[in-house]
Amino acid sequence: MIRLVLAIALGRLAGRLSRLLGRGGSAIPGLVAAKICPTVIDRLVANLPDGVVVVTGTNGKTTTTKLLVTALEAAGTRVITNPTGSNLERGVATVLIERATMRGRSRGDIAVFEVDEAALRTLAPRVRPRLVVVTNLARDQLDRYGELDTTAGHIASALLHAGSSLLNADDPKVAALADGSSSFFGAVADIRHLMPPDDALYSNTGARDPSISPAVEVTTFDPLGDGGQVVGLATQTGSVTVRLAVPGVYNAYNAAAALGAAMALGVGAEAAAAAFEQMTPPFGRGQVIEFQGRRVVVLLVKNPSGLNQAVRLLGAVHPRSQVLIAINDEHADGRDVSWLWDARVEELAGTGHRFGASGTRAADMALRLKYAGIDAWHDADLERAVERAVADAGPGDTVYVVPTYTAMLRLLGTLLPGVPRHEVWA
Amino acid sequence: MSDLRIVHLYAAHMNIYGDAGNVICLRRRLEWRGIGVEVERVEVGEPLDFAAADIVVAGGGEDRAQMEVAADLVGRSAAIHEAVRDGVVFLTICGTYQLFGRRFVTVGGHELPGIGVFAAETLGGTRRMIGNVVVQAPWGRLVGFENHSGRTVLDAGQGSLGRVVRGHGNDGDSGEEGAVTANCFGSYLHGSVLPKNPHFADELIRRALRRRHGDHIALDPLDDYLELKAADVAADRP
Repeated sequence: MIRLVLAIALGRLAGRLSRLLGRGGSAIPGLVAAKICPTVIDRLVANLPDGVVVVTGTNGKTTTTKLLVTALEAAGTRVITNPTGSNLERGVATVLIERATMRGRSRGDIAVFEVDEAALRTLAPRVRPRLVVVTNLARDQLDRYGELDTTAGHIASALLHAGSSLLNADDPKVAALADGSSSFFGAVADIRHLMPPDDALYSNTGARDPSISPAVEVTTFDPLGDGGQVVGLATQTGSVTVRLAVPGVYNAYNAAAALGAAMALGVGAEAAAAAFEQMTPPFGRGQVIEFQGRRVVVLLVKNPSGLNQAVRLLGAVHPRSQVLIAINDEHADGRDVSWLWDARVEELAGTGHRFGASGTRAADMALRLKYAGIDAWHDADLERAVERAVADAGPGDTVYVVPTYTAMLRLLGTLLPGVPRHEVWA
Repeated sequence: MSDLRIVHLYAAHMNIYGDAGNVICLRRRLEWRGIGVEVERVEVGEPLDFAAADIVVAGGGEDRAQMEVAADLVGRSAAIHEAVRDGVVFLTICGTYQLFGRRFVTVGGHELPGIGVFAAETLGGTRRMIGNVVVQAPWGRLVGFENHSGRTVLDAGQGSLGRVVRGHGNDGDSGEEGAVTANCFGSYLHGSVLPKNPHFADELIRRALRRRHGDHIALDPLDDYLELKAADVAADRP
């Protein structure tokens, strides 16, 4: 008990000092607290009356988590959740001690954590989640994560410590994780083929196991002019229509996952759908930013399947838009940019958009576009490149910015000057 | 000029490191010069007449996929040896390169049979060799990205692709990268390797045309400013 109290007090103090020094405060408190009390996470989640829900997978974790949290909060539940970008063990520890009383009680009913696929293996036995949501599994930064089979293995071992799981029926590597306690989300066949699983990149594998009957299925999605969309979701108790602020079929899948999770936690489908409409997009996930009289849409990409989703989205928006693709190769992005060649960049050739490339690997991206038959300008300097893309767009036009992770963080300062990072992420 | 036939071998199995970019690169550089090109994909178990191919390209994959490919390659061994003798151009990267050696012994002691086009063996290691690589080859500098734990050791007399200037190369010790036998090339370089190394791509094209037409064929020069700039940037990145 004394160790726990000390861990909370000193962890918070460390966070305050770190913020005073102008550094982020999302990792330090958790690291300090875990040093003092190694079981700080286990003990703080143990007194959450409604337990822990974990969202994991390669793409869509952040948006799915945010949708689910919005629905739970609208239902009057006090939710503890981690901000994006701190989805490792220390990030979870940090938010838990920040939301604890000094005597070591958690001030919340339930925790919903977005957790990195690799971090889940060690975190799962400690938080014993009642529900694990797996969005999808795609190759991601092989120099950091290693092979996809390894990642699938991490999640499979984590599920042994979970009460139940909610799995993507249309991603064979995710669906293969099923056991007796699993339920599923997915999309009807017409929509499913718009989001081929990673295995189908060069082959035709990936048809859904016909014995699976998903709890929630995307039945329709219609883009709206403002960057959002209307999504139809069928559940076993009836259908709902959701107006989402974020675009793309992949976000329709995220909504299906979040609805399935909310319903499994006792929120009604209608109430959850209504709450989803209140969700503001997390930074970089399709959020529309007013910037110098233009509308800037930021679409984070981390891997070939994410880039394929952006490609598909860009194929459906107003033609002749300005598009800036910003590829960094910092550690957090993955040093290897080979994946650019695995995405279907060729599909952009018919869009009529004007393309620019930026980031540390601006030349690589421009080269990828060149071999896709697209003439693009390039400028490694992110700020200058954004200025150029915006200047080339007409007043009121939409500019699409497609950055990797660290490029996105840099753009935050340019596009939303003066807005503290944690406010954008919250 | 008559078409060149490119075969993309094991696109579905050996597909995780962007090596498909090598096929995209060859196709474009032929098209830009007005040379007809046909690309055929051949997967595990599918028939292939190597004699009718001009350039065969294969990449790296996950461990499980590599095991299936190893079994498939053994069945094609005689045909591949015949094709290599006949001067067919091969570009094998990472996992396929390893299997073009005599054998690959994994960390766990499991042995994957190779087909022995290269006089080389690969031993699985515990240390992964990851990062940007710069290699000096006979036709100039090559820049790529390596990510492997297998250490490939060439027999004395087996020619390499080039000397490592930066990075690990075949085994992290010998200073050698890749292997070359006749027109068959093996390398650990992803990136993909050809787009950023247009002189390497053109060398493969030149050899394929020479085999097809018997004499030396000059390739029209292309504007490679962007290709070489991307290589310069990669060579200096951590």
